[in-house]
Amino acid sequence: MPEVLTPPRQSTFTVALVGNPNVGKTTIFNRLTGLRQKVGNYPGVTVDKRFATIKAGEHEATIIDLPGTYSIYPNSEDEVIVHRVLNGLDSSNKPDFVLAVVDMSNMERGLFLVTQIMDMGLPLAIILNMSDTAEEQGVKVKSHALYQSLGVPVLQTNARSNQGLEGILEVLSKKMFEKPEGFLASTDLLPASLSEKIQQRFDLDNQYQAYQLVRFYENEPTLSEEHRNWLQTEIEAAKYNLQATQLEETQYRYRAIQGVLDKAVTKTDLGRKRLTDKLDKIFLHKIGGYAIFLTIMLVIFQAVFAWSAMPMDLIDGFFASMSARAAGLLPPGVLTDLITEGIIPGIGGIVIFIPQIALLFAFLGILEDTGYMSRVVFLMDRIMRPFGLNGKSVVPLISGIACAIPGIMATRNIGNWKDRLITIMVTPLMSCSARLPVYVILIGIAIPESYIGPFNLQAVALLGMYLLGIVAVLFTSWILKLILHFKEKSYLVVEMPMYRLPRWKDVLITMYSKSKTFVLEAGKVILAISIVLWVLASYGPSSAREEAIAKVESPAAGATDEQLTTYENQIASAELESSYIGIMGHFIEPAIRPLGYDWKIGIALITSFAAREVFVSTMATLYSVGADVEDELTIQEKLNSEVNPETGNKVFNLATAFSLIVFYAFAMQCMSTLAVVYRETKGWKWPVIQTVYMTALAYVSAWVVYQILS
Amino acid sequence: MRTADQIHIGERATIHRIVPSELSLHLMEMGFLPGKEMSLLHRAPLRDPIAFRLENTVIALRKAEAQLIEVSLEK
Repeated sequence: MPEVLTPPRQSTFTVALVGNPNVGKTTIFNRLTGLRQKVGNYPGVTVDKRFATIKAGEHEATIIDLPGTYSIYPNSEDEVIVHRVLNGLDSSNKPDFVLAVVDMSNMERGLFLVTQIMDMGLPLAIILNMSDTAEEQGVKVKSHALYQSLGVPVLQTNARSNQGLEGILEVLSKKMFEKPEGFLASTDLLPASLSEKIQQRFDLDNQYQAYQLVRFYENEPTLSEEHRNWLQTEIEAAKYNLQATQLEETQYRYRAIQGVLDKAVTKTDLGRKRLTDKLDKIFLHKIGGYAIFLTIMLVIFQAVFAWSAMPMDLIDGFFASMSARAAGLLPPGVLTDLITEGIIPGIGGIVIFIPQIALLFAFLGILEDTGYMSRVVFLMDRIMRPFGLNGKSVVPLISGIACAIPGIMATRNIGNWKDRLITIMVTPLMSCSARLPVYVILIGIAIPESYIGPFNLQAVALLGMYLLGIVAVLFTSWILKLILHFKEKSYLVVEMPMYRLPRWKDVLITMYSKSKTFVLEAGKVILAISIVLWVLASYGPSSAREEAIAKVESPAAGATDEQLTTYENQIASAELESSYIGIMGHFIEPAIRPLGYDWKIGIALITSFAAREVFVSTMATLYSVGADVEDELTIQEKLNSEVNPETGNKVFNLATAFSLIVFYAFAMQCMSTLAVVYRETKGWKWPVIQTVYMTALAYVSAWVVYQILS
Repeated sequence: MRTADQIHIGERATIHRIVPSELSLHLMEMGFLPGKEMSLLHRAPLRDPIAFRLENTVIALRKAEAQLIEVSLEK
């Protein structure tokens, strides 16, 4: 009988990657997983969950990159994730093993987190990373001695130079994780009788887990009311003082770690001054520091525009010619119209964003990666405080220049709720990249391409729009600070890591994955809206349509070509006006006429509510409908040539263009942002307030601008 | 007793006590523990926030938080 070959049994397991911030955790994750990583969500929060499944020997290992944290006691939303995942409260992400990354030059604080995880009873392995910096600072670690005192496998790596990665893979493939004995005697932390009762009721392995539950039960959504009440009664009955115990635990732990380190770590004072300290003298200088910050921002701004201009022109032109070619190749008909007038311009409207978004994400990645971002926090904290913001608000606000969504998600590391909420509320006022194409097109129409001295007038206007966004942010947050009252006190505790050269590979991976997420998320909405729009613009109630067409005078026999063309255009515009979307546009026209808009712009406003970048594709679709696609006009040219049939003036004159620019600067026109605000604030209250105040601000400002300019 | 915000640049100080407050735990977890040495590196304009060296790391605190750390100066 032939032998039956059975494939080697594969097992899959989940490994959580944990560690302090700035210990090179993400570099290790990138090195292990490359482009296989995916971004998902943790249930209930929007914190990006980065994970990837890799082959480790005969196994499949899913690695989850958890946010950096100093302790398993969360001080911010970011750290709540770590606590939930490690405690197994998040059932879909329960890790089988933990890989704990420790900065070798700062073992003490790294081990603080590691020993907490040990006490929870999770099998783990320790990676001592950044051996190069440790060496520079005269720190030597005897891994074996450390292994002996902790009972957990220890390996040394330097992920930046790829050293020791094989070691990590070996740990994964051989599952060389060990479940250590508890590090601290938990008897000191919780009265034995209370601990036993809790362990029994919740089926917990050890005392430290029981202690964890005491620490968290009040805010734990997965616990039933009954459990919570029971815990409360028991804890009160035991006269247990949690706060004092926690402070004691922290001190015990550090003391015990010191004991371990005395045996395993040798430090020689090399008497060298750290390069970081020298650099900080420059970057944190009272005047120079701000000048450098401003210069960096201006350089980034300039580079994003200069470098993206050419690819954007190419993309714009490419899609225009693609429409023309498709129209030539395909047989005329409804489907062809949908492709050439709806889908292709719609996709083009998304793709054109990629160069700018990718560049912005890349620059932000570099600022973060080099360690400069936390210096910005230091420099800006005192300046932001009078406005009810926080030094840490600067990071979300700067990210908001790329996109409000990552910006709002970046507020998670602001520990204070009031500061965080205000930051969330104002971040969408920053000029995001979705506003850019709108600004570029409208500024191109409203302002001639001329120079004042060395400055391009259009570029100055664009810079002005960014400044306007910043002014709006400060003003609004100041108002919010006066209105909102919370008991919690504002604070700032921020580590300033060592400066490092950016890791280009990491920057590229971040740029790639963030741009991809953004384009796909925004792309779905835009594409869907483009198609819906085209349908609404191409069809209408049949009776109204016939009436409108009948009103157009048909040319006499023997009319010239010119007369025939005019006739065709009149028919097309009559058709558009009597289409469903035309009717909708006319419906809101009275409300927007004081702002200088006609019904076509009204349509764009309606569709832009989903996403403001839709403005461009809407305009493209609306002005392409019936137009000759073979003209290959870019959107800007189409808009500029649009004439009001009644007055004969250009539709997009200075006043209307500026009024529109201002409207787009302030209005909340982004469903994705609203969804993120909903999730981050856990309710509809704040997103609704945000939409109302932003729309009101947009309407009033646009009205004022139009009335002044017209 | 001086608090950490009163350290002069170049002086070395030893942490004596963390004043009990809501932030005590957070400060201790970051490594501000009695017996540890710290020094002051930078003050932002308006003397706030302040960057401290603690062991091998640099941590910035607001003046109000620095006032929660009581220190004694070394000669």
